[in-house]
Amino acid sequence: MLLIDNPVLARELLVNLRSHRAFILQLLYVSSLGALVYFYWPVGEEGMRQVSPGVSRRLFDIFFLGQFFLVALLAPTFAAGSITGEKERKTYELLLASPLRPGTILLGKLASSLSYLIVLILSSLPLIILCYLLGGLLLSEIARAYLVLVLSAGTFGLLSIACSSVFQRTSSALVVSYLVILPLAVVCVVLTRSDDALARDFVSIAVIPPWCLAIWTVLGSLINRRLLHPPDVGSEGKDVVDEQEEMKYAIGVVIDRDLFPDKLFAPAKRTDLMPDGTNPVLDKELRSEIFSQGTLMLRVVIQVSMLLSIPLMAMLLFVRSDKAPYYVGYVLTFNMLVGPVFSSGSITQERERKTLSLLLTTLLVPRKIVTAKLLAALRVSTVLTFLLTEQILLAYFLTPELQRRFWTLIVFFLIIATTCLATSTIGLLCSSLARRTSSAMVMTYLTLLAVFVLPMGLEWYVQGLGTMSPEQLSALTVTSPYSAALSVPMHIARPDGLAHRELRVAESVLVPITASFGLPVWAIFLLIYPPICLILFGVTCLIFRWRWWSAAASV
Amino acid sequence: MIEVSNFTKRYGDFVAVDDLSFSIGKGEIFGFIGPNGAGKSTTIRFLATLLRPTSGEGRVAGHSVTEDPMSVRRLIGFMPDDFGVYDGMKVWEFLDFFAVAYEIPRKARRKIIGEVLELLDLTHKKEDYVNGLSKGMKQRLCLAKTLIHDPPVLILDEPASGLDPRARLEMKALLIELKKMGKTILISSHILSELADFCTSIGIIERGRLLAAGSIADIQRQIRSHRVLKVRVLGEETERAVAILQDDPSISRLESFDHTLTAEFTGEDQDMARLLGQLLGSGVSVQSFGEEPLSLEEVFMMITKGIVN
Repeated sequence: MLLIDNPVLARELLVNLRSHRAFILQLLYVSSLGALVYFYWPVGEEGMRQVSPGVSRRLFDIFFLGQFFLVALLAPTFAAGSITGEKERKTYELLLASPLRPGTILLGKLASSLSYLIVLILSSLPLIILCYLLGGLLLSEIARAYLVLVLSAGTFGLLSIACSSVFQRTSSALVVSYLVILPLAVVCVVLTRSDDALARDFVSIAVIPPWCLAIWTVLGSLINRRLLHPPDVGSEGKDVVDEQEEMKYAIGVVIDRDLFPDKLFAPAKRTDLMPDGTNPVLDKELRSEIFSQGTLMLRVVIQVSMLLSIPLMAMLLFVRSDKAPYYVGYVLTFNMLVGPVFSSGSITQERERKTLSLLLTTLLVPRKIVTAKLLAALRVSTVLTFLLTEQILLAYFLTPELQRRFWTLIVFFLIIATTCLATSTIGLLCSSLARRTSSAMVMTYLTLLAVFVLPMGLEWYVQGLGTMSPEQLSALTVTSPYSAALSVPMHIARPDGLAHRELRVAESVLVPITASFGLPVWAIFLLIYPPICLILFGVTCLIFRWRWWSAAASV
Repeated sequence: MIEVSNFTKRYGDFVAVDDLSFSIGKGEIFGFIGPNGAGKSTTIRFLATLLRPTSGEGRVAGHSVTEDPMSVRRLIGFMPDDFGVYDGMKVWEFLDFFAVAYEIPRKARRKIIGEVLELLDLTHKKEDYVNGLSKGMKQRLCLAKTLIHDPPVLILDEPASGLDPRARLEMKALLIELKKMGKTILISSHILSELADFCTSIGIIERGRLLAAGSIADIQRQIRSHRVLKVRVLGEETERAVAILQDDPSISRLESFDHTLTAEFTGEDQDMARLLGQLLGSGVSVQSFGEEPLSLEEVFMMITKGIVN
């Protein structure tokens, strides 16, 4: 029996489901869904709640879109560490050497990773039934939505486990999982949100399930094979990654430390001693540790992001140049995904690798160590992010409408640079707070979601209530770089897709600062983040000093 | 050079170290011994400025480990019991990293790195990646890192753990070399015979309490009311030797087995010399004569069984 008496599943379920955290998370989830319904419920003239099919349709959309993205975001956090966690804890070989079949291990890992997610999804069922009672919804529609949710949870979970079986570290597995899953999720949403009910049903029942089954089969056999014939997980002398050797067999992009732009994020290794005055931690991070686990993760990240950028560039920068902020949104999403990989592990990894006590007994002061960690993370994430901005630059030089509003390019670049600073600083702060890299990464992603994405969702939600002015709504979103990018006034395209000869520009919504003075969201965003980042950096230094440097708990 | 007074460390209700006090003089080698979980590493980490005490004070060359950690870090070389290495670094890069972290100027660095590599017999591994080294080599590398800023005090937590017998012997020879260089060394180990050979003093700790401290001979004297005398004689003269020893007032108990006499001796050093003279004077052919020292293992077992207390 693959699921009953599966020791992998039993162990994981025991550890995951009996924790207080699981219970509290579910409580928070159901309460927030409940609050969502409560506030959205239309109020009639005498305080009576009005029944309206339009409301139930909007709630249904919020529920399922929200839950779908929740699945896309949470599935990797549960599943991407399932095998890399075993490698990091050094229990992987024990597991492989046991008489358990690869299929049993895989199913155990998948079921345990997704069980909690499925419990979360199903706990929304009573609230959805409430919406069903309002009318305007078909039972088949609800069943179809749940089918898509469960299928996507399985697919995203398997994809994350596949990444987990390929990479050595959870952080690499997590970021590559997101990079693959999020575009898939967007495609899936676009396909299932057609206005035509028949088309929706067709996609949900006849297109998505067979594709999911095909993906499951391929991934299942791939993971199975990797578990059956595992590559050398490393013992004495086997941990060294030979960059030259790796490059020989690399498919697609090859990273060369001597060439531009690769040398911007991965400077060449030293052949002689460091000059006096060098910050040794910064030097070590950039020259030695960046490729310590090989270049695979970075190569995948660069290739996938570049591939995705091509159709987006065509659509959002050239066909509809007024949609340039959406391309900037893509660049920001990339940074949000990739930035934390380099910062949120910078302190926790010293602990996990047991090098922290060596570092702390040297004469390096906390400020120097933390500064080096921030600069290294910021440099790598900024260079990788700005690789995607070549396309924006190209569009501004080739498209007359954009050329005429060149200042917006500078604003976009400033927004992207500020976002890079924010993701690295927040990642580093989380790294000083958490005890494990995987926790630090999840903590960073949740913080970034709360600060960058949640305000946008809140704006959309509150907009539906119709109780706030556009200025007030914009004020809600000043912490979001997406909102900042979208607030940059672009020219208005004509219905045929071509820009108007007489360039008309959309009006900016100004967030009131005083009674007579207001600023657009992008300006506020650019003004508030540098000081916030400085404060967060100071807090990180203090936490590092108090928690690790000045002799605290066991290192 | 090292002074610990009333050091206590509590984790909630659990007392890891309880009111520990000891001091180590300049040039001494202090062996810190005790069973697993006794509080050795806690004390060592406290002295290495990595642990805040619940109460108590620690000083290295007069500098407080809690008030003035930077001065202490300058003076100590610390080797933890369980340490890792940075990935993607070569042996010389690893040492260069720590040399810069200890503020050694570039001019001096090349020479120092060369010397340390030579002292630890790592010169041939200079260009190897540190994460590819064997456990023994990594231990040596960590010791090289510990010596890079030429600290007068070395704090070594189980430096020989996990090493094979050959590597252990090499480590021992190295420590004897460091002793000759005049370093003050605090070393913890489970391999007691290793410590007995070169430690000038030892401290025995169990359940966070220091049970005994001082030179091995002093501790032996503390835990034994008598000394053990062992005499080996030739041929048929055993009976004559037994008769002489039995009549002596400083001998309390005597056992004889295969020409070897083992006696409990309660006298002073002069009495021992007199006894030897008496044996030789009466024509007994003495092959060997001397005090049987108590091994460190025996001392340790007796003390940790609570005999002293």
